[in-house]
Amino acid sequence: MKVGLYDQLMRRGATRRDVLKGAASMAALSAASAAGLGALAGPAMADEALRAQILQIPGVGAGSPTDADWQKVGELCLGATKASVKEGEFAGIELTFMGLNNQNLHNFLFRGFLKPWETYTGAKISWIDLAQADYNARLQQSIATGTVDFDILEMGAPFEGDTASKGLLDEMPDWVKTQVDMDDLVEYLKPPVGTWDGKTYRVTVDGDCHTLSFRKDYLTDSAISGATGMTTMPKTWQQMDEFSKKIKGQKDPLTGLPAFGFLDPLKGWGGFGFYFLEDRASAYAKHPSDPAWLFDPDTMKPRVNNPAWVQAIQDVMDLIAAGAYPADQINADPGTTAFQQFLAGTGAGLCWWGDVGSMARTSNTSVVGDVVEFSINPGSDRVYNSKTGEWETPEGGNFAPNMAFLGWGVYVTKRAAGDENKRKAAWSAAAHLGGKDLSLWTSAYPSGFQPYRKSHFNFDEWEKAGYDRAYIEDYLGSNADSYNHPNAAIEPRIPGIFQYYSVAEDELAKGYAGQYKSAQETADAIAAAWEKITDQIGRDSQIKLYKASLGMS
Amino acid sequence: MSQGDLLHVVTEDDISDSRRMFGHGIVWASALLLAGIAIAQYAQVSGYADFGFQTWRPTLYAYILWSVCLCWSKVLIYGEHGKRVLFVLPAALFVVSLTVFPLLFGLIIAFSNWNLASPLGRQFNGLDNVRQMWADPFYWNALLNMVWYTLAIFVEYAIAFGLALLLNADIKARKFFRVAFLLPLMLSPVAVSWMIGKSMLEIRFGPIARLARWLGWETPSFFGSPEIARLIIMMLDAWTFIPFMMIMILAGLQAIPKDLTEAARVDGAGPWKTFWEIVFPLMLPVSITAVMIRIIFKLKLADIVINLTAGGPGGATDTVTSFIFREYRDRSNVGYGTMLAMFYLVLIVIFMTILMKLADRFSRPRT
Repeated sequence: MKVGLYDQLMRRGATRRDVLKGAASMAALSAASAAGLGALAGPAMADEALRAQILQIPGVGAGSPTDADWQKVGELCLGATKASVKEGEFAGIELTFMGLNNQNLHNFLFRGFLKPWETYTGAKISWIDLAQADYNARLQQSIATGTVDFDILEMGAPFEGDTASKGLLDEMPDWVKTQVDMDDLVEYLKPPVGTWDGKTYRVTVDGDCHTLSFRKDYLTDSAISGATGMTTMPKTWQQMDEFSKKIKGQKDPLTGLPAFGFLDPLKGWGGFGFYFLEDRASAYAKHPSDPAWLFDPDTMKPRVNNPAWVQAIQDVMDLIAAGAYPADQINADPGTTAFQQFLAGTGAGLCWWGDVGSMARTSNTSVVGDVVEFSINPGSDRVYNSKTGEWETPEGGNFAPNMAFLGWGVYVTKRAAGDENKRKAAWSAAAHLGGKDLSLWTSAYPSGFQPYRKSHFNFDEWEKAGYDRAYIEDYLGSNADSYNHPNAAIEPRIPGIFQYYSVAEDELAKGYAGQYKSAQETADAIAAAWEKITDQIGRDSQIKLYKASLGMS
Repeated sequence: MSQGDLLHVVTEDDISDSRRMFGHGIVWASALLLAGIAIAQYAQVSGYADFGFQTWRPTLYAYILWSVCLCWSKVLIYGEHGKRVLFVLPAALFVVSLTVFPLLFGLIIAFSNWNLASPLGRQFNGLDNVRQMWADPFYWNALLNMVWYTLAIFVEYAIAFGLALLLNADIKARKFFRVAFLLPLMLSPVAVSWMIGKSMLEIRFGPIARLARWLGWETPSFFGSPEIARLIIMMLDAWTFIPFMMIMILAGLQAIPKDLTEAARVDGAGPWKTFWEIVFPLMLPVSITAVMIRIIFKLKLADIVINLTAGGPGGATDTVTSFIFREYRDRSNVGYGTMLAMFYLVLIVIFMTILMKLADRFSRPRT
C-alpha cells in the first residue's frame, strides 16, 4: 500500500488496524476472484483523487504555475519516495544536478519538485543550469576532459551514444524501474531508447515528437478562406505551402497585423534548428519500407542531398522568394517562431514539440489558446525511395512524424555510484521526477515536457482538470498519433549527432541567404560537411551505432 | 661589478663557494625532479608505464618546488643582487605558467584531430587543420567581416571625438551628461543584445519597429538583409563602446593647456583652425591609444553576434570569434577550433605590430 494512500485513509479517520485489515482483505479478494477488483478500486480511487488534486494546481486558466505550485505538486507526489526511503535517510548527502533552464522551466521546475524531497530525505542538491544552446558543449567537454562534475543529469536520448557508450552512466536499479512504472511508457520510448547494451539508464520525463499546431480562425475567417480557398487544415506540405503563398496580403484575425502561413525557423539554434527542416524532409524522405532517412545505414553516406531533402530545402527557398514569411524570418530561431510569433499571434501554423500545445492554453504569454488545433506533421503527396532512387506517390500521401529528440530523461552518473547511499539518493531523486503522477502534471502544465505515458492519454482526467474536451483530444491525439505512427521518423542515437545538425544549420543559413546557387548545392554542402564529421568520429563505429539505433543490427 | 651597480648595494655580500654550490645544487636537483616526474606522468598517460598518478598535480607541485628553488638560489648565489631579482622573477614564472605553457599545449591541440565525440580521442594530424582552414569559406568570410567591423572604428572615433569636445565645452549639466554618456559602457553586451536587439528592434511590437512603420517603412526588417544586419551589429557595438573612446579623448582634451588655445585665438585662429592645428595634433597620441585599444576590443567581438544573429543571415554578421565559438562549442571540434584561434592570434599579432609601427611614425610631432 502506498504511504500516500495510507495517510489519506488515516485522515478520513481510519485506524492503522483498519487500514491493515483493509489491505489484507483487498489482497485476499483480488486473489480469490474477479470480485476483488471492486475492493481494489480503493487505491485506484486514491490515485485518481491525487491526480485530480494535482491537476488543480494552480488550475487551467489560472495563469502560469509558480515555484509554490511546483513545490505543492512535489509534496503531494512524495508517496512513492516515502515508501522506499526513510525520513532523513540521505542527511548529509550532497548531489549535483545538471539540466536546462529553457524558458525558466526544466531545472526551475525540478527545484520546486525536489524541494519537498530534499526536506524529507535530508539530501541537498546543487544545480547547474544550462541554456539549451550551451548544453551539448558543456556535456561533451565534461566527457572528453574527464571532468564530469554532476551526479544527476537531465539528458536527451540522442546523447546516450555519447555517454552510455563511454561507461559514464550508472545502471538503473530494479526498484526504480518499479517505482516509475516503466511499462506505462508509450511504445516508442521503451527499449532500446534509454538502454545501452541491454542495460537501462534512463528515467524518462518527457516524450518528444513534433506535431502541427494550426490556427482554426485562419480557416473560418472569410477573407483568408477566400484568398486561400481552404477551410480545413492543410494535410500535406504541398497544401501548406500553397496556403502560405496565398495568404499573403491578408490580416491576422486576432491582431490585425499582416497574416502569415507556416512559420519555418530559418536561423540555427545550436543544432536543434535542424529538426525543423526534418519536419518537412521526413514526409519526402522517410519511406515506410526503410527505417533510415538521414544516412545510408551501410556506408553512413548522407542522404541529406538526395532529391527528397533537396525538395524540402527548395520548398523553404520558394517561400522565402515568395515573401511568405514575416520580415526578419531569416533571423528567427525555433524559440522565436514558437514563443514570440505563434503563441503571440503571428502565423497560421508551425511544427513544434508538444509544449506549444500545452502552453497555448495555460501560459500567460499565449493569445491563441482558443483558436489552435493540432495534428500530426504534414505529409507529402509523394515520397522518395532511396533504394530504387525513384519518387513514389502512395495513395493518401506519405506521413512520417518526426520523433525529434526522443524526449528528455534523468540519468545518474557513475560519479554518484561510488557510495551506495549517495547512489540511492540520486536514483530516488530521479525516480521522484519521473513519477507517474508528477508526470501527469508536467504534461498538463507549462514544463517543457510533453505526454509520454499511456496513462497521460486518459482524456477524462484532463477534462476534469478544466481542459476543454475537444481541445485536449485534439492536442493529445496529435501526440498519440505521432508516437504510434507506423512510419515515424526515429532520431538516431549516434555520437556527435548535434555536430551534424549544427554544421547543417550553418550551411542552410547560407542557402537561405542566397549564397548557394540552388537547394541542391546547399544540400551538397551539408552532405560534404557530414562526411567530414563521420570520418573524424570514425565511420565504422558510426555505422554500427546508427544501425543499432534503427534496430537494424 | 660596475661602479654604477655598487651605488645601490646596501650590504656587501661575502658569498662563500659552498653557498654558491648549494644554490646551484637546489636548482638542478629540483629541475631534475621536475623533469623526472613530468616524464613519468607522460609515460603513464601514453601507456608506457603505470606510476599510479591520478592527476597532473605532482608535476604542478614539482614545478612550484623548482620555482621556489630557483628564486631561493638567486639569493644564495648573488646575495643582494639576487634579492632584487626576486622582485620580478616570481611574477615572470607566474606569467610563463599561465601563458606560455597553455600556448604550447594549445599548439599541440591545434595540430590535432580532436573531436570530442570521437571514441579515438586526440590524434596528431600534422597540417590537416591548416589545409582545412585554407579551404574553409566560413572562416575567410568571418575574417572579411572583421575588416568591415574594424573599419567602423574610424566612424566611432569621429563620433567619440565630437562627443568629447561637447562634454569638454562649457555646457549646462556637463557632469550629468558625462555620466549619462558613460552608461552604455556599463552594460553587458549580452544585455544590450537582448534589450535593444531582441526587444526594441522586435519587428512587430518593438518601439523602433513601430517608429519605422510610422515613418513609412511598412515592413521594417533589421536583420533580414546582410548589409542592414551588419550595420545594426556595428551600431549596437558602437553604442556600447563609443563612451570608452569618448572618456579617453575627454581626459586628453582636459590635459591640453588652456594657454595654447587662447594663444591661438589671440593670433587670430578660428575654431576650426584651432581644432585642426592645435587640438587634433596634440590629441594624436591619446587618439591612437584609444583607437588601438578599441581595435583590440573589436577583434574579440562575439557576444552580440552570438545572441542576435548567430552569424546570419548567411554569415553576413559572423565574426571570427563567433565562428570559432560555433565550431568549438556546437561541433565539439576542438582541434580545428584551436587552429583557427591560433591563426587568428598570429594575424592579430602581425596586424597590431604593423599598426603600432605606423602609429609611432604617425604620432611623432610634425617639424
